[in-house]
Amino acid sequence: MPSADAWRSPDIVCTQLEKTFHSGGKTISAVGPINVRFNAGETTALVGPSGCGKSTLLRLIAGLEEPTVGSVQIGGQTPIEVTRRAGLAFAFQDAALLPWLTVRQNVALALKLARRGKDEAKVSGLIDLVGLSQFADTRPAELSGGMRQRAAIARCLVTEPSLLLLDEPFGAVDELTRARLNQDLPALWQKPGTTTLLVTHSIAEAVNVSDRVIVFSPRPARIVGDFTGMRGSDSAKRAVMAEVSSALAAADDGLLTS
Amino acid sequence: MTGRIAAAVPSLLTALVGLALWQALASITQGLFVFAGPADVLRAIIAEAPLLFASAGITLKSATIGFVLGNAAAAVLATIALAVPRVERLISGVALVFFCLPFVATGPILRVIYGVGDGPQIVLAALATYYTTYLCLLVGLRSMPASWLDLVRSYGRGRVSEIIHVRALASLPYFTAGLQIGAPAAFLGAMVGEFTGAERGLGVLSVRAMRGLDVDMTWAIAALAATLSALGFWLFGWLGRTLGAGPPPLLLSASRQDLPRSRAAALTNSVGSFALLTVSILALWLGLMNVLGLSSFFAKRPQDVFAFLVTDPGASANRAILADSFWQTLSLTFPGYLVGLLLGAGLAILLVLRPRLAAGMLPIAIALRSVPIVTTAPLLVLALGRGAVGTIVIVAVMIFFPTLAACLEGMRRTPQSVLDLFASYAASPWKRIFHAQIPAMLPAIFASARMAVPAAFLSATTAEWLATGTGIGSLMALTASTSNYAMLWSAIILLAVAASLLYAAVHWFERRILKTFASEQLAI
Repeated sequence: MPSADAWRSPDIVCTQLEKTFHSGGKTISAVGPINVRFNAGETTALVGPSGCGKSTLLRLIAGLEEPTVGSVQIGGQTPIEVTRRAGLAFAFQDAALLPWLTVRQNVALALKLARRGKDEAKVSGLIDLVGLSQFADTRPAELSGGMRQRAAIARCLVTEPSLLLLDEPFGAVDELTRARLNQDLPALWQKPGTTTLLVTHSIAEAVNVSDRVIVFSPRPARIVGDFTGMRGSDSAKRAVMAEVSSALAAADDGLLTS
Repeated sequence: MTGRIAAAVPSLLTALVGLALWQALASITQGLFVFAGPADVLRAIIAEAPLLFASAGITLKSATIGFVLGNAAAAVLATIALAVPRVERLISGVALVFFCLPFVATGPILRVIYGVGDGPQIVLAALATYYTTYLCLLVGLRSMPASWLDLVRSYGRGRVSEIIHVRALASLPYFTAGLQIGAPAAFLGAMVGEFTGAERGLGVLSVRAMRGLDVDMTWAIAALAATLSALGFWLFGWLGRTLGAGPPPLLLSASRQDLPRSRAAALTNSVGSFALLTVSILALWLGLMNVLGLSSFFAKRPQDVFAFLVTDPGASANRAILADSFWQTLSLTFPGYLVGLLLGAGLAILLVLRPRLAAGMLPIAIALRSVPIVTTAPLLVLALGRGAVGTIVIVAVMIFFPTLAACLEGMRRTPQSVLDLFASYAASPWKRIFHAQIPAMLPAIFASARMAVPAAFLSATTAEWLATGTGIGSLMALTASTSNYAMLWSAIILLAVAASLLYAAVHWFERRILKTFASEQLAI
């Protein structure tokens, strides 16, 4: 039985994790084998060439996909067990706001899905926090891409998850908006104790908002680089950025020559 | 506001031209007692207003009850198919076979079961409306970004939560579209139900007026039925828009199925589902008759039909009669089907060359597609005689308007970027039509061709029943009145199986073609 602490601030252990898909009689290996431990309370960025399988890895951790081989343990529990008590929240690239609900209702939906009681004060508080108080009763169609992601992040946070899985949450917004979001939002989700995984294809984003960057090779996704130490000075950041860049370039070359 | 008025001008003009043509035709053919012009129709309606409106109210009531029941059934079936994917093919198959039951025969049998009253009208209205809603919902319940469903699952919730929080509301545009198509169909079902010997209602008046060669009255009833159906169509369109449910991107589209591993596996799979479907239908048939405790005098069981067609001493004679009349019907249904389909699609293509005319035609085609053509069968037979031409024209007209409306809609969906691409090379209109707009229209053509199969049989057999006295429609009417129920049930089975198989054939062909030309247009 894992301790309550492990729930509040879980580490994630992937053991011999593999995922293959079948399509049109062909078998495509998307992930692995991967052996990795994501430390409790840390923010880890997962980067790699697009389509490399890093999103599949995130979905495996979220319990949205079943592993073909191997296992995922979150604070000693399976992903499905964690989702059942709403211990994690997933931010989707397309925000995944339901178009017939207002921002407020979309945020409140997470409480409903998590079988928690209504908590209007908390919903309003989070909407304020992400800077959407004027748009609380607006439907998603009338919001900009950046506003939609803000609403989605508010929805993620309302259930106070101990594990936050972000799948290129700012992938679909323009560069300027992305910079703004990266300035405002990480401070909100980086609560002490929350373990965060962020899939991104932006090296700058990865290095700036996380404690650790892991670089993946393309299909199947395997770990080809693991970097830490960018929380210090700007020069340390730049050094890590250069290392991540060259690891990524090597992974990309592998894609081109294979 | 002026913009909206300006936009309505082409439609109004087309409508006025249509009315003028109608009046002219009536004036020219005066003395033939075939056409009644708009003025005569109006006069007849005013003269018999109390009776007509009271009857319309009765028909409307049956249609509404049947509509509600049919759509509720569609929602339940689609939800089951969604919740238990294994049974989806089976449910779809059974639903199709029931949809293909010939009203001309089920009507009289329901009349025997229910006696007087509005039972048959309600059941036929429900049967006429449920299948299109079922098809729309089947697609609608799955048409959403995968992330919406992942969101529900990421909180550890299952399929029921998916349906409650996401699928039910996401399918709303498809549901209202299904209701929209179903509203005129329910009215048609109720009227056909009344043809079978109800005491009151618009259908009763229609049969009476036709038998009495009351041309003005026949036209007046058809016009009233058409108006009420069009109102129903418009009402649900308005409801859909009010609920914020825009028209869904694809309607009645073919389903995309998982690619089977091999050809042999595909064959085994198909043979297996076909056998399962056959057994299920037979079991349902037998079960329904026994549970309801219906007398085997009029409620024949599978073994009765088998004996009648195979083991009885007179079986070969029975088969010969059935086959003869079926070929008679088929020889008129098939040309009518082709003509209706080709004219509908052809006119849509021509109208694309004249976008302004197309803009005027679309609302009218949509309005006319909602006209219960079958209820105008007596008119067309009056106009064209009891020969082959009359039946062919009825079938063609029944199919023409839905096809035209669907194709005009489909063609409007050609992506603007593709049109811009053709314009940037100054391509000729014909090039644009052949390479961009006809491919964009293909899903609409095929959906129409598929849905037209049962409609073609319905209109042909109704025409034969009410007017021409030939073919399997007439055979069914005759055997219903002489209580030769074994023959009647054999005819029902033959027609339902034929229509279902032809529908399946079009569906198969549709999937093949669309997989190549418009794979993105296949529903999930």
